Amino acid sequence: MAGDVLIHAENVTKVYNPGMPDEVTALHGVSVSIAVGEVAVLKGPSGSGKTSLLSLIGCMSRPTSGKVLVYGKDVAKLPERFLTNIRRKTFGFVFQQYNLVRDVSVLENVLLPLYPLDIRISEMREKARGVMRKLRIDGKEHLKVKQLSGGEQQRVAIARALINDPEVIIADEPTAHLDTELSGEFLEILSALNREGKTVVIATHDPFVHEQPMVDRIIAMRDGRIDRAVVR
Amino acid sequence: MRKHGKIIEYALSSLLRRKFRCLAILAAYALTVAILASILFMTGSLKIEARNLLGSSADLIVQRLLAGRHDLIPEAYAETIRGIPGVGTVTPRYWGYYYDALTGANYTLLGTDRKESTLELLHGRMPGGRGECAVGAGVSAVRFAGEGGELILTDSRGMGVSFQVVGVFRAESSMLTNDLVVLTDDGLIAFFGLPEGRATDIMVEVHNEDEVQTVARKVKRLLPDTRPITKRELLRTYDMAFNWRSGMMLTIFAAAVIAFCILAWDKATGISAEEKQEIGILKAIGWDTADVLVLKFWEGLILSMTAFLLGVIAAFVHVFFLGATLLAHIIMGWSVLFPEFRLVPHLDPYQLLILAFLTISPYVASTVVPSWKAAVTDPESVMRG
Repeated sequence: MAGDVLIHAENVTKVYNPGMPDEVTALHGVSVSIAVGEVAVLKGPSGSGKTSLLSLIGCMSRPTSGKVLVYGKDVAKLPERFLTNIRRKTFGFVFQQYNLVRDVSVLENVLLPLYPLDIRISEMREKARGVMRKLRIDGKEHLKVKQLSGGEQQRVAIARALINDPEVIIADEPTAHLDTELSGEFLEILSALNREGKTVVIATHDPFVHEQPMVDRIIAMRDGRIDRAVVR
Repeated sequence: MRKHGKIIEYALSSLLRRKFRCLAILAAYALTVAILASILFMTGSLKIEARNLLGSSADLIVQRLLAGRHDLIPEAYAETIRGIPGVGTVTPRYWGYYYDALTGANYTLLGTDRKESTLELLHGRMPGGRGECAVGAGVSAVRFAGEGGELILTDSRGMGVSFQVVGVFRAESSMLTNDLVVLTDDGLIAFFGLPEGRATDIMVEVHNEDEVQTVARKVKRLLPDTRPITKRELLRTYDMAFNWRSGMMLTIFAAAVIAFCILAWDKATGISAEEKQEIGILKAIGWDTADVLVLKFWEGLILSMTAFLLGVIAAFVHVFFLGATLLAHIIMGWSVLFPEFRLVPHLDPYQLLILAFLTISPYVASTVVPSWKAAVTDPESVMRG
């Protein structure tokens, strides 16, 4: 499967608040492909359109025009239920602010994506404990998220992203709040996941990330357009 | 089902996370339901009491009118009424009201020569002679006059008259007998100083229920200075009186309901940034809009059902076990003897259903609708913090 195109965005444009005084065009006819099993990095300054492209790739939003193909299927026009299903099965997200529910336990945060699925609670817990063990947070399952350090919170966010066993890990500015040591630890986790066969897409402006040897493809963006794309 | 079970589990944990806010809403909500349910329970129960009371009364009561007001009726009218075809027993009644300055309460004094009564006696027997009486539980309590005790009342000449209490009444509720003092007919005539050959009104039994109106018309034709009152008219009057009182109360408390709805709407529409973010997170990690709405529906339903049940239980205890202390004076009017008033517990499922619908559904809607607005937006917004 490695080398097959997993995601292909074709001539996508994204306009926010169309027709309003604060209309913004975040992406101008962008085309990009990401292959199965590769580590791709979207880099560029603030406002370059990285996050907009990342959210289109991850089926979090729809393009204003153009196509987003996942395994060759155009997902841009799918009804919400189907889009959610693809997002749930295919993508695991790690957000810049981690976006954990602060007042609930680590275990509950990790379990959250599984609540709407037809899986027994005992099975859910078993899966969560497996993922948490892998990320070395298994001793903290009953702690509230707000009691954890930044690095631990990020590992909880990764555990939550992995609970559905997605094919693609999407991370938005994952090292923005981490020091070099924790950033290194995080990238080591991603590298291990990639070695297991997961595709990884990261949006970042941190050179520490895009200079990593595990990165296969660098897509540089500026002003909502692709400046250049490098495949290593 | 399994999915709903898990979402309910998460909804409970969400509510517990916001426990202080939820408790405040729960308290306001339960109080509103308790007030509304108290009014409904009380008026419902009073109407049933009134129906029970009137159920055993005569088919027709004939009063005499003089200058548009109730006057004593000649006993001889009973003979004329007896002559009307279809009429059964015709009995002149002797009764009146008595204001007891000692306790500030009004009693109903009733004369009877019957040895047995439709009203059940708790202790003792019906009065058999002029110096004897049977009293309601309320009178017995305020005058400390149990069976074998003495009740002194002031007669129409201003003289104190002593009656020996030979019985204390029990009824399904004390509403029927609470303020009642029963004397013998001649005892009552002498006490009030009623003129010879006059009664307070005349009680008429009619063999065929369908002919009551016809008999009433004939009475009016034969005795133009009388007013025949049918049992149906009395029932309607009671219903109207209680409906009017409960309507007045409901109008007053409508303000409370509106205030509560505003609170609920404000709470729900002012969906906090934290809640909005949580909805965004849930959508981003694979919940669809319907899942989020199911979660919000269960949150609203759990809170409102709990408040509804607490409110209804509180109202039930308030009305039927604590004697509706907060509402009794408004609903029941002046003639109530205050010390003892127990209503028979009665629940009308239809009324409860209406109350549940009117209180639960607006709250659930005001929880789900604003969440729906947040849930239909792209989860991308959560990525932007």
